Amino acid sequence: MKKRFLSVAAGVLAVSAILAGCGSGAAKSDGGADNQSSAAETKAGESKADSAASGDALRLINGKIEIDAQLKKAAEKFKEKTGQEVVIESLGGGVDIQGQIKSYKAADNMPDLFVIGGDGDYANWTDMVADLSDTEFAKNTDFAYKDKTTGKVVGFPYAVEGYGITYNADILEKAGIDPATLKNYDAFKAAFEKLDGMKDELGIQAVASVAAEAGQMYWSTGNHLFGYYYTGGLERGDNKYFDMAMKGELDDERLGEFADMTELLFKYADPQVLVSGTYDDQLALWAQGKTAFITQGNWIDPSLPTYNVSFKAGLLPLAFTKSDMTRILADCPSWWCVYKDGKNVEGAKAFLDFLATDPDAQEILVKEAGMISPYKTSTIEPETPLAVSLKKYVDAGETSSWAWSNMPEGLAQNALGLVFDSFAKGSITRDDFVTLMKSTMADYIANNKK
Amino acid sequence: MNTDKKIIPLAMLALGAILTIYALILDLTGATGELRGYILILGVILLILGVFKMPHKKHTKIVNMVFLFPMVFTFAVTVIIPFILGIIYSFTDWNGIQVTRFVGFENYITMFKQSDYVYSFVITLIYTVINMVLVNVVGFVLALVCSSKIKGTSFFRSAYFLPNLIGGLVLGYVWQFIFNKVFTTIFAGSLSMLTDANLALLAILIVNTWQYAGYIMLIYLTGLQTVPKDVLEASGVDGASALTTLFKIKIPMIANTFTVCIFLTLVNSFKQFDLNLAITNGAPSRIMGPKIIQATELLALNIYNTAIRKNNYALGQTKAVVFFIILAAVSLTQVAISKKREVEL
Repeated sequence: MKKRFLSVAAGVLAVSAILAGCGSGAAKSDGGADNQSSAAETKAGESKADSAASGDALRLINGKIEIDAQLKKAAEKFKEKTGQEVVIESLGGGVDIQGQIKSYKAADNMPDLFVIGGDGDYANWTDMVADLSDTEFAKNTDFAYKDKTTGKVVGFPYAVEGYGITYNADILEKAGIDPATLKNYDAFKAAFEKLDGMKDELGIQAVASVAAEAGQMYWSTGNHLFGYYYTGGLERGDNKYFDMAMKGELDDERLGEFADMTELLFKYADPQVLVSGTYDDQLALWAQGKTAFITQGNWIDPSLPTYNVSFKAGLLPLAFTKSDMTRILADCPSWWCVYKDGKNVEGAKAFLDFLATDPDAQEILVKEAGMISPYKTSTIEPETPLAVSLKKYVDAGETSSWAWSNMPEGLAQNALGLVFDSFAKGSITRDDFVTLMKSTMADYIANNKK
Repeated sequence: MNTDKKIIPLAMLALGAILTIYALILDLTGATGELRGYILILGVILLILGVFKMPHKKHTKIVNMVFLFPMVFTFAVTVIIPFILGIIYSFTDWNGIQVTRFVGFENYITMFKQSDYVYSFVITLIYTVINMVLVNVVGFVLALVCSSKIKGTSFFRSAYFLPNLIGGLVLGYVWQFIFNKVFTTIFAGSLSMLTDANLALLAILIVNTWQYAGYIMLIYLTGLQTVPKDVLEASGVDGASALTTLFKIKIPMIANTFTVCIFLTLVNSFKQFDLNLAITNGAPSRIMGPKIIQATELLALNIYNTAIRKNNYALGQTKAVVFFIILAAVSLTQVAISKKREVEL
């Protein structure tokens, strides 16, 4: 009998140990940032201690890991001024960010601030974000993310990024080409032909550095390049071609012009990098001065010192039209939303206002993180070459919005990027490119309605 | 007398039940507070003790069940519950956050209407068949080499096995570099294998064989060592050639090893994901009539892309359920067939 009692006691102990594990985990999970050990790049121990100290630290899920250190520094400043702790949790480097936030939601461990990349992401969180229309930052920027149906500001823009075709000013100067004249297809064509004829003289390997492989570079072609089809040259907020595309239709004339430009780019691109190159290959080729152009944007700035780049560089719109195009595609790459049911919604708003309006915070974001401020009140000037070039467009109001970030998810990777890939390899002609682009777009939109 | 004995256990059971239910209600209504966990534990302990104290013949069996609990609990939480949830999700419009409605078999119908899924299906079958044959043939030949009398067999054994110890993703990216840079430099002017729809699939096959054949070789090697020496000697005395020995004695005697190896490679190739993701990530493009699709998007990658890249969790889940059913059916059939061919010693 005694023996049996012991065995029962042992069994009960085992059960209670397991249940205790669950119980305490569930009880503490609403306490905040204590079970993010799996999150990439987060110093779990540090944030644990931090949140224990203040009790209700704000938590921000940042999707741009490159600016992690700078954000942490800004958060420090915010704590100095207000006493409110902010924990920055940066995700990146292949982490599925939206999936991670979804699992936080499932675990009842939602952060106070989290990142969204556009309409697709926002659709999941529509009912869970706070209205930010009454904040300071909202009055000071054109780049905030607004709910399409209510028009309320729900997303905080932390930076402006822009892209088009980036040039090596030294090479263009040697060839006697003024970048300011490159405003339309014909000008680009003439310039490309001239540069191609002077390759040996200039010591370049190819005219442009373009990468169009479907598995890894779909974002550059399917998102970025094709983004010019949607809004290139249009006023900010003019989404007519994009809206049309989201119904599965593409405009023949515009697409035709775009196809001509794509053909031109691919024809004068380095063939090896074009069909099988990675981002690094593409960048290295241009940064080492082996090509005059690259189809990337101002985000390559921080990588330039790696290649000891000494030449001058600037950004141009990818002017694929016959008429002049002077606007560059510039927008906020992603936005931060405030979780409506968070414990400290006002504190989160205050933090966003701080980042947007406080000179110290702007100094950190612009100077140290090398970003361009989307805020009119910010007077701090960027220093890196492409940021400087981009800032000119932003200041002059010569920008178009990025409609592509509102495309259905997977469109670039699973559909558009493939058409570019085929075109780059030469397996389809320019006319095939137009027809395939149209059928692929129509197909994808029809098949992926939610 | 009997009723007296029953009172205490009954009271314990009642109190335990009340506490447990109270804790569960607290949990479901979303009330906060640290106490509910402890209430739940106390309730469950009282329930168990109540059952144990209950004067009844079967109570020892109940106690035995208690000992199974940790195992059953872990298994349920990590396997059974997610599996059932997964099947339920496949009938809903789950987006990874919430379910708004049940859609019945809609996901299952949509799935087979998508040309990219059907294509992934076919290409995966082709890949599985070729890969299964390739890995087994290479693995078996390596095993024969390593069990022969040539010098340095132990070195070869570990050398062939080594690729298996490297993670698939790392290996994938290394090989991608080899295909894209090294091969194009050696054969100057040629385009990378990965840019051609058929050759890209071959590239994955090559890498997988290189990685997996060593592992399969090891299993064949153990199998070959179980073939009794006396039988081999007897055949040698009878003048059997090496080939006859191989086909008439060795292979039939290690038929069960073949079952294991074929099963492993079948499942492994069907589930191919990491190499696929790292080497091609679905690229390049293949034009099929008016459509353009990802030439090397195998089933697992297709499921991943549907759920994560296209943000369609419910459809991805549905594909995963079908994936499981097919995989289970195919591998069980294979094992059943192979088992019949095995010879007992």
